[in-house]
Amino acid sequence: MASLIGIDVGGTFTDAVMITNGVIERKGKIPTNQDDILNTLISALDYLQISKAKNIETITVSTTLVTNAILQKRLPEVELILFPGTGMKLSSLPWPVDYSVLTGVLDYRGRVVVPADQSEWQTLAEKLNQQSVKPLTAIVSKFSHRNNVFEEQLAAYLHRDVPGVTTALGSQSGKANFYRRSLTTYLNLAATELFQNFAYQLKMAVEARGCRAPIRVLKADGGVLPLAKIRPVESIYSGPAASVLGTLAQSNPEESYVVVDIGGTTTDIGLVLSGSPLISTHGAQIGPFLTNVRSLAVRSVSIGGDSAVCLDQGEVMLANYRLGPAYCIGGVSPTPTDALRYLNLTDYGDLQRAEEALGMLLPENQRTASDLRRTAEIIVEKMVEKIARAIEQLLEEWKTEPAYKVWEVIHHHDDFKFYIQLSGGGAPGLEAALENRMKLRTVLTEFSEVSNAIGAAMAKSTFSWTLHLDTKFSIYRIEETGEQGIWSGPKKPHREVEDFLKELAQTQAIGLGIETDDLEKEIFDYFPLVENYHTVGQIVKGAMHVPPGVIGRIRS
Amino acid sequence: MNKTGIIFFPAFDWSLGEFHPEREERLLYTQEQIFEEGIMDLPQVRQYSPGVADLFDVLRTQAIFPDLQQHNLDAHLIAVGSSLALGNALMKKEITNGFALVRPPGHHSGATVWGNRGFCTLNNEAILINVLRAKYGIKKIAVIDTDVHHGDGTQDIFYHDPNVLYISIHQDGRTIFPGSGFTEEKGGPNAWGSVLNIPLLPGVGDEGFLYALENWIMPAVEVFKPDLIINSAGQDNHFTDPLASMNVTARGYGKITEMIKPDLAVLEGGYAIEGALPYINMAIFLALAGEDYSGVVESQKPQNTEIGGDTIRSFLTDLKRTNEAVRPSWAFRKEPFLPAGDWVYSEKSIYYDTDGFKENRREYIRKCSHCGGTVLMISQKPSFFQKAVLVRIPFEACPDCEQAGYDLAEAFQKSEKTVLLQNQLRNQVHLWTDGREVKPFGG
Repeated sequence: MASLIGIDVGGTFTDAVMITNGVIERKGKIPTNQDDILNTLISALDYLQISKAKNIETITVSTTLVTNAILQKRLPEVELILFPGTGMKLSSLPWPVDYSVLTGVLDYRGRVVVPADQSEWQTLAEKLNQQSVKPLTAIVSKFSHRNNVFEEQLAAYLHRDVPGVTTALGSQSGKANFYRRSLTTYLNLAATELFQNFAYQLKMAVEARGCRAPIRVLKADGGVLPLAKIRPVESIYSGPAASVLGTLAQSNPEESYVVVDIGGTTTDIGLVLSGSPLISTHGAQIGPFLTNVRSLAVRSVSIGGDSAVCLDQGEVMLANYRLGPAYCIGGVSPTPTDALRYLNLTDYGDLQRAEEALGMLLPENQRTASDLRRTAEIIVEKMVEKIARAIEQLLEEWKTEPAYKVWEVIHHHDDFKFYIQLSGGGAPGLEAALENRMKLRTVLTEFSEVSNAIGAAMAKSTFSWTLHLDTKFSIYRIEETGEQGIWSGPKKPHREVEDFLKELAQTQAIGLGIETDDLEKEIFDYFPLVENYHTVGQIVKGAMHVPPGVIGRIRS
Repeated sequence: MNKTGIIFFPAFDWSLGEFHPEREERLLYTQEQIFEEGIMDLPQVRQYSPGVADLFDVLRTQAIFPDLQQHNLDAHLIAVGSSLALGNALMKKEITNGFALVRPPGHHSGATVWGNRGFCTLNNEAILINVLRAKYGIKKIAVIDTDVHHGDGTQDIFYHDPNVLYISIHQDGRTIFPGSGFTEEKGGPNAWGSVLNIPLLPGVGDEGFLYALENWIMPAVEVFKPDLIINSAGQDNHFTDPLASMNVTARGYGKITEMIKPDLAVLEGGYAIEGALPYINMAIFLALAGEDYSGVVESQKPQNTEIGGDTIRSFLTDLKRTNEAVRPSWAFRKEPFLPAGDWVYSEKSIYYDTDGFKENRREYIRKCSHCGGTVLMISQKPSFFQKAVLVRIPFEACPDCEQAGYDLAEAFQKSEKTVLLQNQLRNQVHLWTDGREVKPFGG
């Protein structure tokens, strides 16, 4: 029987599971070494004894490699070259990196309004040649997702005149907006070498253990792609996606619930609507970078089982950091875990030490059983309150999603019956308090402590193809791949477009190693283009998805 | 920090017809432009989701005849509801100003509604204004209508209302739909001077518009001292508009917005969906958000020769003189059904261009020195046999006008098919069909 392996690199611990035929065969947690993610992963694989396993189908990792490198500013410099055209000033938005600007204007349908100025390109090439032996250049033009002409031409020019140059084009991720596309292109290029080295070494390490299973990487939107196919920047913030998928693998397919994953210092909150995770309408933000990386709609709160509890003018406060593990399991600082232990809401940790931890928060003459109990209750209340507010914010975000069609507004949010799925190492013991605060049934996910790793292991390979077709100009574009091609179909197509996109999706899915059995079609929008009371073409927008989800369910 | 709210509701699944200017494509390129520019990522910008207006809020301001079931209001209720959502955000101080970038428009829709006219069925701004008054106690509101067409619907709704100043600057009604908005129209007997119409010669550009704003419109607003300013932000003064002949640029619109400083702007017309809308919407929005809009440049260049500064200045000086010289004259009328008091009478024929029919309306207003005065409108669509009646007791009505309103509603509710009582004073709406009171709305 083939096994699935899932590894989730968390801030404090790395979870690992091996699942065979829906049954968890091995599971465990090892400490994360943030400075060496590769070895953390290899240790986790060794912990699962992959060298002894017979038949591993896939290895899926959710890794903080790129996230950390961005946040710790460990990425190489990239030359960001922009064609901002007309419109809003660049200075209206905060740019976390430097850029240079070139002439050339495209309009919203990709028409060239002002051509590029090649005399500027020569100056640019000279500058790049002086600056570095192997310059990295990210080239992005406004409306390049409608026409990549400036980007393509400049890239070709630089490849000719700047030896050793690497170029990345904004149109390769053909999604609005210009600002996010620029920063995303920048980050992706900056992270490419780091990620490729990592991918190579991980593959070597796995092969050295006699395992030939394909390695896959989890993305922020809950999708999975092969190690060699993923754009590095898409691997950021996959942790919350792993917890949502982990819960999916342990619940009924049609249910709607809030996922609350309580870790050591962070709690991630996500939303599942009738078995589908809610996708954010914005791209992910990482540090000062706003990106167009598709991600699940999640809220993260700086609170967890290991959060340090301290006193601020006599009042109990929950810090947003940890000072090691909980006192009741040998740490130095009181934590929510100590409070839960003292209240006997869990049996994790030493009761005597939990009592001592709470005592540290009280004057010596006020350490009666009822004082200690009250203090523990306050800690739990405060923790639950923080989490509850974040849940309410996320539900509000979902309820106030923008809508652009009458149909969407009128049929907005049919009634969902939500409950709460609680998971993560810090979760046990909080069910009753959270249920009481939210007035929503709250259940603890069965394999709560390794839920994220389960999510990674069982995640489906996914992809989306979002089409923008302008039959007047005979051009189609695919948002996710950046493909821009000639449309040779009719001016007023109907079924032909859907068949076209379906075929394109099915062909490309094979290359990505994705099953298309459950290819989903989004509603296609047809905009007749009218000039002088004649229809001269159509703009068609539509999409096909292999949506995020899990393969099968965990059996207890 | 100043916060600017936006609701973008392009109604991508709604049109008035395949080739109609008000079709799905209308805000498609505006979407491409504002999304690609990333305006939602500006730190001071907050995007809101569209709302659906309550029928109660509609009927407080507009009488829908012969009954609600005869109209498909879904898209219109969302355009209104979105304007209301921004109004609520403004009142809660979540935002300092906002832009309801919504379809369909509303400013041709008046006090009585039998159908769609000038692409409008419900009046977004008027319903919003009365919600702000009823719900938040706002007293005085100025509407500045910069659409190229006269906002005859908004004028109709507030013609007798001394607390709403309606100013419209537009292309002269002799050359364009709806054929009204002459400078002699200055408000009803209890609200004389609360309407200001500035009809312009075709061809006026940025300079003329800004001159009129600076020298006439804004001084008039200053005298009125409104608590709030609403801009009916039509975009058909643009030099590329297919239905009108003005010569304003996108950056001109930015400047107009900067001068008006509206608390809320609501999109009205504008049908150069490629040449104008993507740029004007950007410029208006950036001006509201306090950002530099000087980079917003159309891909087409203005071609008509603009009417020169001297011509427009002397034209406006003459027009202002004419406006100031207009004296009110009222026709008083006695009818057996009219309660005590002096009632001013007028008649109106309202053309519904979308479906091609006329509404005939008789209108009585109680002349009153204490309040806006109770209004009676007896309306008929010729093809529809029965009459429909609107009685409006105004905000802050005096006791005599209030009683007159109840008496009128009672007098007509048995005899006429449809009677609507808008009791703005008590924030109530009563509707009678065939003599029986019906509740078409919740609560």
